[in-house]
Amino acid sequence: MNAFLAEMPGVIPWIALPFFIGFGINLVPKLDRPLALVVTLSSLVYGVMQLLQPLPQTVELLGHFGVTLMIDAFSGALILTNGLVTLAVLLYCWQTGKSTFFYTQVVIIHGSVNAVFVCADFISLYVALEVIGIAAFLLMTYPRSDRALWVGLRYLFVSNTAMLFYLMGALLVYQGNHSFAFTGLGSAPPEAIALIILGLLTKGGVFLSGLWLPLTHSESETPVSALLSGVVIKAGIFPLVRCAMIVPEVGGILALLGMGTALLGVGYAIWETDSKRLLALSTVSQVGFMLAAPPVAGFYALTHGCSKAALFLIAGNLPSRQFAQLAKLPIPPILRGGMAIAALSIAGLPGLGGFAAKTLATKDLLPWQATVLNLAAVGTAIAMAKFILIPRHPTPAPQPARGLVLALVLLVGAILGANSLGLDAYTVASGVKAIGIIALGGLLYYFVVGRWNLKLPRGAERIEHLIGVMTLMLTALFWMVVT
Amino acid sequence: MSVLEAYIFATLLLGFFGIIFKKNLMMKIIAMDVMSTGVIAYYVLIAARGGFYTPIATGAKPGPYADPVPQAVILTAIVIGFSIQALMLVGVMKLARNNPTLETDQIETNNMP
Repeated sequence: MNAFLAEMPGVIPWIALPFFIGFGINLVPKLDRPLALVVTLSSLVYGVMQLLQPLPQTVELLGHFGVTLMIDAFSGALILTNGLVTLAVLLYCWQTGKSTFFYTQVVIIHGSVNAVFVCADFISLYVALEVIGIAAFLLMTYPRSDRALWVGLRYLFVSNTAMLFYLMGALLVYQGNHSFAFTGLGSAPPEAIALIILGLLTKGGVFLSGLWLPLTHSESETPVSALLSGVVIKAGIFPLVRCAMIVPEVGGILALLGMGTALLGVGYAIWETDSKRLLALSTVSQVGFMLAAPPVAGFYALTHGCSKAALFLIAGNLPSRQFAQLAKLPIPPILRGGMAIAALSIAGLPGLGGFAAKTLATKDLLPWQATVLNLAAVGTAIAMAKFILIPRHPTPAPQPARGLVLALVLLVGAILGANSLGLDAYTVASGVKAIGIIALGGLLYYFVVGRWNLKLPRGAERIEHLIGVMTLMLTALFWMVVT
Repeated sequence: MSVLEAYIFATLLLGFFGIIFKKNLMMKIIAMDVMSTGVIAYYVLIAARGGFYTPIATGAKPGPYADPVPQAVILTAIVIGFSIQALMLVGVMKLARNNPTLETDQIETNNMP
């Protein structure tokens, strides 16, 4: 214990701070925003510190039955993402008159997402994920409308059922190892691996288990959508990537599922006419890149989190959610610019963080895997072209709110600054390839996709199917683990 | 022991299929509770594999002890499960004002854009 504190100074106070402040805010409601700001700034500082740390640090509290923590550069990147996105959301909400209750939930969700990014045992992870679920439900239902309540309940149903499967998996890991640490997964029985992966896939919105995500993320309020799609979804992806690093055979399964979700997400996204739904579907696709390339998952999550949060904040402030309507309405130039930068970063334009992340992610893959991901990248470019190629309308638009502008400056700065972490991606070949993918996507959008009007059925998003698909995924996963 | 295990899996599956097939939102929540009861019972069962006695240090040694770790863990999960249950019931109470029958199909059709 003492050795632990000497090794990792500040980790316990840093983890505990959001929870103390989150509940403490209610005693001093006037200070809600500054206190929330203190929490996010502490995460920014801590994230950068860990990002620069060369060696991973592992710690066991109270022996191997107890809590295991592990912090490395991967955690650092995700903690930094969490700090940046939460800070942008706070700036955005600063003058919107949200109640103290809202800030309590934001701070608690921020803290529990941080806890996920440092924990290395299945029970701490379970607790953190469940706290995320509760806080996310409260944020989703903040408007108290019937639709918000339904979306929240649907989310809780899906996530809680998935976590029950996960708990069974965790027990089977314990039975084999007498410890809940992630490292036990390697020697666990196949059913344990299948159950745990199923729970995390559902939390992380991957492949068929992720079909709850489009409705949830698109029907939440603007800042909540940004928070959910920017970081909260990575709380499901992080442990998967961690397991993939520890147990190689799990890595193979996850890479396969990652490719599936990358194609599934864009397959839906390119035909979508609603801007927020398109962004949510694009998240389903982007998490696939993180799963396919565990070593760069942290960097990818950082660039994707900042870009997606920026796009959600902008999409919520456009005059309409339908692309067809947007062409006939004025859009403020600042929003147009921010939208172009964030969308091009997700599509992977050289000069923006998304390019470096995407190049590094596809670099070390097998040829067929790289082909699949490049196909998904073309699809992403088609989907993002919808944001970039909105026709200009001559009438002047009203100025956007100052909070939104500040949030966008922060996120765009982060997208540009993220380049410094991936400088080795900049080669002539990769630049030409990225520009080729974007040009191909743009052309395909202009000549093919933009001219067709295809309405994909959405029956699979009904709650019975969301729960029922878990049996299919569980069977498939079990089969994949056994063979 | 294996009979108990079979009962536990039956509980789990009944709960799971209840979530899928029950039409009423209230019944879905109760089915979820049944499923979590199954998981909790499974933890208790696994903990009792080695023995039944509570591991408290007293002078007398009554026999093989139960493993305290899964029990401690599942206590946390029970608390979390129960708070989620409470939260969902509050949500259902609010929804019931405009959807008194709580038919899931109806609510879903009304709230899917």
